[in-house]
Amino acid sequence: MLEIRNLHAKVDGKEILKGIDLDIRAGEVHAIMGPNGSGKSTLSYVLAGREGYEVTEGTIRFKGRDPMEMGVDERAAAGVFLAFQYPLEIPGVTTMTFLKTALNAQRKARGEEELDAVRFLKLVREKAKPLNVTDDMLKRALNVGYSGGEKKRAEVLQMSLLEPALCVLDETDSGLDIDALKTVAEGVNALRSPERAMIVITHYQRLLDYIVPDVVHVLSKGRIVKTGGKELALELEKSGYAAYGADAA
Amino acid sequence: MAAVRETVETVGEVEKYKYGFFTDIESEKAPLGLTEDTVRFISAKKNEPDWLLEWRLAAFRRWLTMTEPTWAKVSYPPIDFQDAYYYAAPKQKVKLDSLDQVDPKLLETYEKLGIPLTEQKMLAGVAVDAVFDSVSVVTTFKEKLAEVGVIFCPMSEAVQKHPELVKKYLGSVVPTSDNFYATLNSAVFSEGSFVYIPEGVRCPMELSTYFRINEKQTGQFERTLIIAEKGSYVSYLEGCTAPQRDENQLHAAVVELVALDDAEIKYSTVQNWYPGDEEGKGGVYNFVTKRGDCRGANSKISWTQVETGSAITWKYPSCILRGDNSRGEFYSIAISNGRQQVDSGTKMIHLGRNTTSRIISKGISAGKSSNTYRGLVSVHRKAENVRNFTQCDSLLIGDKCSAHTVPYIETKNPSAILEHEATTSKISDDQLFYCMQRGIGEEEAVALIVNGFCRDVLQQLPMEFAVEAQKLVGISLEGSVG
Amino acid sequence: MNDKATASFVTAFETAGNALPGAGSWLARRRADAIKAFAQAGLPHRRLEDWKYTDLRQALDKAAFAPAPEHKGAVILPETRGAVAFAGIDAHKLVFVNGRFHEGLSDMARLPKGVELHRLADVLSEQWAKALIERRMDEARQAENIVELNTALMADGMALRIRKGVRLDKPLHLVFVAADAGASHTRNLVLLEEGTEASILESHLGGKAALADIVTDIELDADATLLHAKLQDETADSVHLSTLRATLAGKARLGSFTLTLGCGLSRAQNFIRFAGEGAHASVDGAYALRAKQHFDTFSVVDHAVPGCTSHTMFKGVLDGEAEGVFQGKVIVRPDAQKTDGRQMTQALLLSRDASMNAKPELEIYADDVQCAHGSTVGELSKDAIFYLRSRGIPDAEARRLLVLAFLDEAIELAPHEKVREIFRDLVSGWFGEAAS
Repeated sequence: MLEIRNLHAKVDGKEILKGIDLDIRAGEVHAIMGPNGSGKSTLSYVLAGREGYEVTEGTIRFKGRDPMEMGVDERAAAGVFLAFQYPLEIPGVTTMTFLKTALNAQRKARGEEELDAVRFLKLVREKAKPLNVTDDMLKRALNVGYSGGEKKRAEVLQMSLLEPALCVLDETDSGLDIDALKTVAEGVNALRSPERAMIVITHYQRLLDYIVPDVVHVLSKGRIVKTGGKELALELEKSGYAAYGADAA
Repeated sequence: MAAVRETVETVGEVEKYKYGFFTDIESEKAPLGLTEDTVRFISAKKNEPDWLLEWRLAAFRRWLTMTEPTWAKVSYPPIDFQDAYYYAAPKQKVKLDSLDQVDPKLLETYEKLGIPLTEQKMLAGVAVDAVFDSVSVVTTFKEKLAEVGVIFCPMSEAVQKHPELVKKYLGSVVPTSDNFYATLNSAVFSEGSFVYIPEGVRCPMELSTYFRINEKQTGQFERTLIIAEKGSYVSYLEGCTAPQRDENQLHAAVVELVALDDAEIKYSTVQNWYPGDEEGKGGVYNFVTKRGDCRGANSKISWTQVETGSAITWKYPSCILRGDNSRGEFYSIAISNGRQQVDSGTKMIHLGRNTTSRIISKGISAGKSSNTYRGLVSVHRKAENVRNFTQCDSLLIGDKCSAHTVPYIETKNPSAILEHEATTSKISDDQLFYCMQRGIGEEEAVALIVNGFCRDVLQQLPMEFAVEAQKLVGISLEGSVG
Repeated sequence: MNDKATASFVTAFETAGNALPGAGSWLARRRADAIKAFAQAGLPHRRLEDWKYTDLRQALDKAAFAPAPEHKGAVILPETRGAVAFAGIDAHKLVFVNGRFHEGLSDMARLPKGVELHRLADVLSEQWAKALIERRMDEARQAENIVELNTALMADGMALRIRKGVRLDKPLHLVFVAADAGASHTRNLVLLEEGTEASILESHLGGKAALADIVTDIELDADATLLHAKLQDETADSVHLSTLRATLAGKARLGSFTLTLGCGLSRAQNFIRFAGEGAHASVDGAYALRAKQHFDTFSVVDHAVPGCTSHTMFKGVLDGEAEGVFQGKVIVRPDAQKTDGRQMTQALLLSRDASMNAKPELEIYADDVQCAHGSTVGELSKDAIFYLRSRGIPDAEARRLLVLAFLDEAIELAPHEKVREIFRDLVSGWFGEAAS
């Protein structure tokens, strides 16, 4: 589903990614671990197409297409979903309006029929319930006044509703207590399917107790320095990142 | 609560101004009034080159065509510019070689002001230039500064010894035609400090100038020029006091700062000119033009002011943010009591790309005073990614005073993000009660709360002066509480 | 007098002579004084502090509006977005064509008892009307002086008086149409007696190149409530000049909201004075401008007595070469303790050539008050656009959503849910025009 070859990327003129190779097939969950500043978030922004993240070398293929030729929203419609580390607050736009606009925009871009208000509402409620996202939250402005846990749950709700092919979870565990972490992880696990791939970016092993990966990569100074199975995460927890040429962070 | 009411009732008893003494010293003055001859007299006294005399005369001729600005929220009877002396100097028979030759009376004066001028007694790491009426009496630590190439001397000396620098920079930030008072200053300025920091030098000590108006009916027109070459840094502080007199004294200074690439100038003022008595009699009219030019990329100019004195303050230390990525800051505490009138603020003119500015203004009004913040944030069309944050807070003590906020926000570039916030509040009875219940006297409680209100600004002052300023805040409000 | 436009208004005054209402009465003398005062000062220009960002003299010199003629023949209401939007509201309707009342298009037949609605000319002999016309606020003389022009030349208008305790059953809708080019001067008078309630909708639909000069004088007695919503949508070659002056007695409430979409140059002035304790005034607005449009809001809220609250919020988006101006002042007089005054102005710049000038002022002479103002200017958040796009929302739609959300915070303050819906649709439509 996703093939990355020798990916180099710059932010503010500084090279952050220095040659990433990554292959992810449908149905797989890959964890990318690494210390702060190793380039984890940069990789997620490059995939989503954020302005200011400049690819200087290498290629990306996503479902056989080149995302570099697609705008941010086109990538989303094609199935790339980024769960933000810090979801933005958008005053004045209710969560409900936002979800409906996003879903219908993607459906339209894919040539599918847009959902009417009734069908949409039913769908949202169905998806919101297991995530403990209340009607009250849906009526409020997007992420405004949400607690840390509510924000992350709202991100997972968006993911569940938009049904992307590739989910990129950027430090979804940051700022969550253990109960909130479990709820979010359950939501994510429910979305695991043979058609869908996931990249779970995290600093700590903790999240991977709940979202068990198929493959674990260690990212350090802009390169993947080690790849292994889920046991690699446990090893890292013990030995730290220092063994991989990174400063302990 | 009764406490606040008492505050108001006893507001009349403004504490005696402790710098109000007069030094009886023989002095030499220019003839009363202002004509071309006065300008020539001053220039001759200072033994100035022709170009500077011509520069002064051009300013004087222009000044004759100008009228006083009236837009500020201050009122005072018309000033008779012919009924003042424009030059006064303590009589000194010979040129001074060392401190030992300074008139002991002068040294005593500065001791009384709390500014010892003999280097042994000085605050460590602070060089002082002391200006008495129209002349500089002494500059300390000159040699030590010279070792790293820093020039710190009276303006009149700079004119003699560094004419090329003076000629290049004088009037380049505040042109002679700038405004009524700046133009007047250009014609008759008599003293001030000159600072030059060479490329890459971090000035090893705080530089400071103490201004003292002593003579009766005398205006003080100092002119200060600070040039920070590429990659240099300087922190400069000025302090001001004047004797207690029944008539008003005029102080019309001009300060010009130039910061070249990567340079930083930090300019702090503790202004404590005589504010007049509780009925508004006497006091200094402080009409001052201060402007910094962030001429180079990545340069920074920071103004910090603690304004507690003067009958009238008319003062807007500003930054022209010309160099890309340059930064301007303005931190101000303006305290008014009795019948003082303050109209002060800043201008941040954003011309360069990625320029940023920050304005924190704390106005405290007590007694029957009036306290106005007036500021401009302007973003020009080509200034990309400008950021400004402005916060203006006013605190009112008693119900006979007033507080005003007049911000101008002008932008012609969409990438700018400008935020302005202003609030007005009073010291709450609950706060006072809480402090007093814990055994803190009322006056001290007010000082405590006010100091808390000013904290963001006090933190910006150089360490050596922060304590002094904090005390001054308390003293200025004495008598405003019961 | 030293400019063409000022001279042309003086000529218009001399030409109109006795044709203006109130000839031979107190008003004739008042008009003579007014035109004299106006001519002496001339049209305002940018050297006056109150007009710092709007040069009315230059604009009117250039546009040179002759007096609007009386319209001949049938009037077809313009099918503008505003006209269509407000058409569905059930209201008593007064239509003014070229500044003159048009009976045929109006519907004011079924007014409740105690509601007196007349043309301006019919109430001029009444004391309350005289008092309102002669009243001055005097807080911003340079701004208020322009009312003299209106006093000298006012030709028509609406006079509404509601007797004690009566509630106007449905909104009163004032519709202004410029069927022909030219200048019109309209004066509206509103007196709400104790305990009354009324809603006034005002739509300025434009048509031809016109100068609309409107002064609305309002007096609210104790416990009276007036809700006011105004839509301004005139042609790009028009000038709109409006002044609202309101005095509020104890516990009176005023809620006024203006949506500005139209007009080449508009200046909206609001003068609010509290005369009794416990009153509240909310003077808010939203605007969306593009091309070379210029919109200046000038507002003065005078807390002359204790215990009143005021709220001013203007939010706008500026595209093209549009210019926005906000000049606002909250005054708290000595003894006006327990005042709560809030003022906020926010603008979004959507284009490289748009500009915004703001001057939110506080003038405070009492200590036990809560006053705050804020001002922000900026462009749409790039992060927010990215976030929306990363969820598949196309760029244009993301911008539209954010702009509407931005304006919605102000529109929320407009009276009546129906009006808010209409305003939201209008803003959404405005944004659509940009995309097309």
